Amino acid sequence: MKVEGSRQLAAPREVVYRCLMDPLSLAQALPGCEKLDPQPDGSYQATLKIGIASIKGTYQGRVQILDALPPESFRMKIEGKGAGGFLKGEGTISLTVQNGGTLISYSGEVQIGGMIASVGQRMMQAAAQQMVQQFFDAFSHQLPAVQPDAVNSGGLPPST
Amino acid sequence: MIPEPFEYHSPQSLEEALRLVTEFGEEGKMMAGGHSLLPMMKLRLASPRHVIDLGRLSELRYIRESDGWIEIGALTTHFQIESSSLLREKCPLLPETAREIGDAQVRNLGTLGGSLAHADPAADWPAAILALDAEIRANSAGGERWIAAQDFFVGLMTTALAPGEILTAVRLPPLPRRAGDTYLKLRQPASGFAVVGVGVRLALNEAAHIERVAIGVTGIGPKAYRAAAVERELLGKPPTARRLAEAAARAADGVQTNSDLFASAEYRKHLASVYVRRALELALERANP
Amino acid sequence: MSSKLLGERIKRKEDPRLIQGRSHYVDDIQLCGMLYLAFVRSPHAHAEIKAIHSEAAQKMPGVLAVYTGADLEGRLGLIPCAAGMEGLKVPPHPCLALRRVRYVGEPVAVVVASGRYQAVDAAAQVEVDYEPLPAITDLDKAVSSDSPVIHESLGDNIAFVAKLEGGDWKAVESDASLKVIRQRLVNQRLAPLSMETRGVVASYSPGEDTLTVWSSTQIPHLLKTQLAVMTGMDEARVRVIAPEVGGAFGSKLNVYAEEGVACFVSRQFGKPVKWIESRRENLMATIHGRDQIDDLEIYFRPDGKVMGLKCHILANLGAYHQLLTPAIPTLTALMILGCYNIPAVFVETKGVFTNTMSTDAYRGAGRPEATYIIERVMDMVARELNLDPVEVRLKNFPPPGKDIVLATGVSYDTANYQKTLKKVLTLSGYKKLRREQARLRKKGKYLGIGLSTYVEICAMGPSSRMPAGGWESGTVRVEPTGKVTVLSGTSPHGQGEETSFAQIVAEELGVPYDDVTVYHGDTNQVPMGIGTFGSRTTAVGGTAIYHAAQRIKKKMARLAAVKLGAKPSELVFRDGKIETEDGSKSVKFGEVVGEAYFAKQLPPGLAPGLVENYVFEPPNYTYPFGAHVAVVEIDNETGEVNLRNYFAVDDCGRILNPMLVDGQIHGGLAQGIGQALWEEHVYDENGQLLTGTLMDCAAPRAHQFCWFETANTETRTPVNPLGVKGVGEAGTIGSTPAIVNAVMDALRPLGVRHIDMPLKPEKIWQVLRGGSPQVV
Repeated sequence: MKVEGSRQLAAPREVVYRCLMDPLSLAQALPGCEKLDPQPDGSYQATLKIGIASIKGTYQGRVQILDALPPESFRMKIEGKGAGGFLKGEGTISLTVQNGGTLISYSGEVQIGGMIASVGQRMMQAAAQQMVQQFFDAFSHQLPAVQPDAVNSGGLPPST
Repeated sequence: MIPEPFEYHSPQSLEEALRLVTEFGEEGKMMAGGHSLLPMMKLRLASPRHVIDLGRLSELRYIRESDGWIEIGALTTHFQIESSSLLREKCPLLPETAREIGDAQVRNLGTLGGSLAHADPAADWPAAILALDAEIRANSAGGERWIAAQDFFVGLMTTALAPGEILTAVRLPPLPRRAGDTYLKLRQPASGFAVVGVGVRLALNEAAHIERVAIGVTGIGPKAYRAAAVERELLGKPPTARRLAEAAARAADGVQTNSDLFASAEYRKHLASVYVRRALELALERANP
Repeated sequence: MSSKLLGERIKRKEDPRLIQGRSHYVDDIQLCGMLYLAFVRSPHAHAEIKAIHSEAAQKMPGVLAVYTGADLEGRLGLIPCAAGMEGLKVPPHPCLALRRVRYVGEPVAVVVASGRYQAVDAAAQVEVDYEPLPAITDLDKAVSSDSPVIHESLGDNIAFVAKLEGGDWKAVESDASLKVIRQRLVNQRLAPLSMETRGVVASYSPGEDTLTVWSSTQIPHLLKTQLAVMTGMDEARVRVIAPEVGGAFGSKLNVYAEEGVACFVSRQFGKPVKWIESRRENLMATIHGRDQIDDLEIYFRPDGKVMGLKCHILANLGAYHQLLTPAIPTLTALMILGCYNIPAVFVETKGVFTNTMSTDAYRGAGRPEATYIIERVMDMVARELNLDPVEVRLKNFPPPGKDIVLATGVSYDTANYQKTLKKVLTLSGYKKLRREQARLRKKGKYLGIGLSTYVEICAMGPSSRMPAGGWESGTVRVEPTGKVTVLSGTSPHGQGEETSFAQIVAEELGVPYDDVTVYHGDTNQVPMGIGTFGSRTTAVGGTAIYHAAQRIKKKMARLAAVKLGAKPSELVFRDGKIETEDGSKSVKFGEVVGEAYFAKQLPPGLAPGLVENYVFEPPNYTYPFGAHVAVVEIDNETGEVNLRNYFAVDDCGRILNPMLVDGQIHGGLAQGIGQALWEEHVYDENGQLLTGTLMDCAAPRAHQFCWFETANTETRTPVNPLGVKGVGEAGTIGSTPAIVNAVMDALRPLGVRHIDMPLKPEKIWQVLRGGSPQVV
């Protein structure tokens, strides 16, 4: 499943990038994040309780930041597993200066396996999109001293 | 297909139910007919610690008319709505919608309130409720409030209900003079859910122009929505076939469109415009005396 | 034989208990001290198992043990494959995965607990570390030389290559007047979806050293043999019982991992063990059906006569062989010419391993694929030549007759394809439909009329050509009170043979229908047997019973003859009496039974009692046939298909009970039409099963269908004395191409030759708006 879109944030690019690299602000923005421990190799061990409404599952996993090019872009690799199955994702996040703020564009491929894959296909796209949205909503609140979400969001519908 | 262990509660009054809902907070889950919740629990996708079964609250099972509103209790089953003579006369859209839901077993146990609170993106009731400009009553320990249908659906399976609130009733205006309504749907062959479902209520004025029109659409996006762009094109205008078609082409404007094994986003957009047009045509036919 | 019972619409003996919920399925069996199993299954399509952590699960309440593949290695045999074709690669198939998993849902470990809920709760606590490997789900990629290999020891993913060739291909290929169509057809994967899922209770008694197994199976006797081999027990100490079985459609013609594991665990603990499959498990770990890609080359004359058919079949076998997995696609090759006299044929079948659940017999089993191919061929030829599909079919039918041998080498018992076609054309008002279609086309409306004139291969079958014998056993025992017990080695599970077998015996013995009771499914009660599948139960099993009844009659006639002073050959059995044809000499049936058991005046050489067994070995298969017409309307804005009418004329030989035949045809049509329009069992490119619940896996429902107009012709087979051919799969086999042909016929003005199944509205919409149909 492809997950892609973009989001305009009202903060300078360097600030946005720094926040994205900050485990504390990430942990507060990631939906259902119960743990985000930086590891010696630069990755994070994460415990996420994610889902939509009452459909929630706890996933243990690893988040890795690769090919960091501050403040322009980085790649992100996520792996997790839980009772509902497993997920693997990899994508590129790039930041461009736009309209006095920052446009974050994300594009990635998520592979979902196990229970969730076999019972949830009709809602998967919408759920992924909603979680990304939740993340950015929360993340924009983490940005210091700027109006959250001052500029309209430009999220694109994902495509398969 | 066996749920994780949970505690079962069967409150005998709304008051008791509200107390339990507040007490258990995030760990509690309300159950009405159980037709959405139980399958999710059996798959262990949902694992609430406490299930609060509202099924005994017979006070929430009614269809009545008062003060110019039709009011329906949250625990009224799909079948009770399908077979209500009051609704058939004063709000035919509702029995028409009920008839399209699932199968006989689902209609006998599933409830209006349960379905609305669950807010499945392909459920039928949300489109009907939006088309009727209905209001939804939420009760909490602090009292009650009415939420406009337009404000009720917030996102994928997410509603405007706050923690501690119980959806208790839906009220809606009966069909006015020179008005018609309908619900049309394309069923997903496996689930019976709506690939697209469209509820329309349309009223004409003395000049036979469109005085009011409300269009609820389900199955297309992460939540049911009012096709506002279509409505705007039609309000105050004479309902010619061409105008209906042109307006209906905007049925999925601005909507983040679902895509699944059965139908791509592009096809869904197309279906939305076809079904909106057909529902408008049928509602118009019924509005014309 | 004066017929009072045979041919009548007699209500089913089975129904009162089934309709009232008073029968017993595997899950209704409760034994003292029963243990329960829950399986831990792989969420990966292809992965190495690095470690299995079961410590937490072992400490859960009620848990007695957790076993993994390593625990079972050398202690429980492998899952058997009975198909024995030349050069077949058979990978080891352990009951619990060893070191590697190869499909989503493969059992990796089993939890044994004293409660069912406890077992499931503990299974959720078993942690398995996997190292994912690339999954192979695409058939074209799986056979390419650079594909990863699923079973490394086998070298590649091709389990077998089988060729079938007949006729003079040189003549065909050098004939420049012939036209050629090349087309790929995809026959999608389906889930059999019986109403009752699988289930097993295994109960080992250490004192007696006996193992009793209740399983929801179609083949109790074969299962008994296999479980004895797998457990290493003396077969005489193993008993298998198929209690009420809530449908199977071929999916329970198998030996499954869970059956083996239940027996193993019961022997470990000396206690009864139960496992009941959930619907989710049923969708991912019970065999699937179909899943073939067929690449066709059709050579035909400008007058519509087809001269040659080539087909390259890629058959998706799944990750392992189940009981008959590789044999199924070979039936496609065998029946690929259908009921047409096509002089040259070439079929190459490649059986391919992929990271998916095994395919195996699903209602029709290889023949629906064949019928789909050949019936689409006829319509594509008709379209290409702008001929009526009826005309093309008539041009290619062999003349009516017996023992018709086609280029495939298959010898059809009896055939009169013209007769069923003519009847269905009349029944459907075909000419009128064509006129209506022409009128509607002028208005821009799409009405489609689809034909299918199928032939199938039934009554399986001669032992020389069956993997595990094709005979069947029948026993008739007249009890001392005059009531009659019938034992059959078949194992009906919804078909209604308790009724038709009773009809046969009651008619033969001249006793009341209610006096006959039929038993099946218990290996300690029925001396031997094969089972119920391949539309064989009445044609083979019924025939065995018929012969056993003849033996009873012969003996009773000898006894009666002594009493009456007549010749045995002069006597008839009717109305509870044995008498001369004119009725002048007569003795009551019960009186003769008394003679047989009290044995006071037995003629010399005649043993006491009235028990006769007969094992029938069929000399050939039977070849039922039929002609169907489907009428569909297409919504020209959305592509939705509305099935307006369905007409089916089926010839299953002699009809013993028209109601049972109707039931089989109706159910079969629903499944066949379901494949054409709605059903598909879908894995994504990573081998994840996307249709894992009934929310996405579309089982056909009654409300989706129009009324079926059915009729029959009766062309009796000479293969058995009853003249019956078999009808269990006919509806499924005949209907799928009728629907697809109808939809393609409707879309003919749009210039599209083929759309793959299921004919979802979006695919048709793509065509309607001038695009390619294959994007969905």
